Amino acid sequence: MSQTAKLSDEEVIEIVRSSNKEMYAEIIKRYQDKLMRYASNIMGDDHKGADVVQEGLIKAYVNLHSFDTKKKFSSWVYRIVHNEAMNMLHKQKKHQTIGDKMEFASGVDLEAEFVKKELLTHTHRCLEQMPLIYKEPLSLFYLEEKSYEEISDILRIPIGTVGTRVSRAKGIMKALCQKQQK
Amino acid sequence: MSKTAKVKPIDLKKAIMAKVESNEIAMKPRWYFVLGSVLLVGGLAGLSVGAIFLVNLTWFLLRQHGPMGQWKLQLMLNNFPWWVPILAIGGIVLGIKLLKKFDCVYKKNIWLVIGGFVVAIILAAGLVDYLGLNDRLSRQGPMRRFYQQVEGQNWRLPGRGGGNGYFRWER
Repeated sequence: MSQTAKLSDEEVIEIVRSSNKEMYAEIIKRYQDKLMRYASNIMGDDHKGADVVQEGLIKAYVNLHSFDTKKKFSSWVYRIVHNEAMNMLHKQKKHQTIGDKMEFASGVDLEAEFVKKELLTHTHRCLEQMPLIYKEPLSLFYLEEKSYEEISDILRIPIGTVGTRVSRAKGIMKALCQKQQK
Repeated sequence: MSKTAKVKPIDLKKAIMAKVESNEIAMKPRWYFVLGSVLLVGGLAGLSVGAIFLVNLTWFLLRQHGPMGQWKLQLMLNNFPWWVPILAIGGIVLGIKLLKKFDCVYKKNIWLVIGGFVVAIILAAGLVDYLGLNDRLSRQGPMRRFYQQVEGQNWRLPGRGGGNGYFRWER
C-alpha cells in the first residue's frame, strides 16, 4: 500500500477506471474525513453530513469516467459533495438565514477531531449561523484550506465572486462572533 | 442542535466498497459521457441556429410592414404570428441553459456570457437579413412554402387586400 500512497489522486483514478476498482478504497480513505468535515459544516449535522458524503462518493464512482484527469480530483469530488448537500438541503427546505432565532445549547462540546481547541469551536458556532452562500466559501478557504481557484471550481462561481464572498463572509463572521461573545 | 452527544464514526469506506465489490454500483461507460458532450454541443448549435432563424424570421416579418403607424401597429398586434418570436426567445433561453452546462462558463461573468450569446444571435440574424438569405429562402428552395405560410398567417385580413383574404404591404 506504500506504493499506492505515493500515487496522486489522478493516477489512482486512472487505475480504478482501467483495471482495479478496489483501488477506489484509497480515494475514500484520502477524502472521507475532509469531505465529512465539509459536508457536516454545510448540513449542520454529522449524520446528514455522512449521508451526503456517502452519496457523493457513490456518485463520484458511478461517474468516474466523466472526470478529466488533467484537472484536480479534489475539486471534482468536493463539487459532487457540494451538489449532494444542496440537493438534500433543498429537499429539507432547511436553508439557514441570519437571524436571532438560532439558539445554541450551552456547554457545546464539538467533536475534537473537527476543531482545534477553543478558537475553532467558536469559529464553528459562528459559521453555523452564516447564510449558505458565505458559509461555503469561508469553510472551504479556512477549514479546507482551498485556494480561490479551487473554490471557484467547486462552487462554480468566478474567482472574483469567491474573493468577494470570502471578504464579506469575514465581515459577517466578525459580527456574528462579537454578537455571541456579548 | 446540541452536539453534546458524540457521533459514532461511520465507516464509509466499508459501506461503499461493499457496494462496489458486489457490483451493486457500477461505473457508467466512457461513451455515455462522450455522447452526452456531443449532444450538448449539438443541442447548443441546433438551438443557436434555430434561434437565429426565428429571430431573423421575426425581423423579416416586421420589415414587411414598412414604417409603423398606429393602424399598422394594431394590425400587427392582431395578426402577427407571435409563435415565431416566442419560439425564438424560447430557443435563446434554452441555449443559455445549455451554455451554462459548459465547464468553462462559470469562470466568466455569467451576465456577460448571456449578453454575449443574445447579442451574437441577434447579430447573426441581422447578418442573414443583410445578406438577403431570408429573401432568397422565401423565394426558392425547400423553405419557400414555409415562408409563404408564415406570411399568410401574418396578413390574413378577411375582406381586404387581394381578394383571397390576404393582405400584404408593398416593400
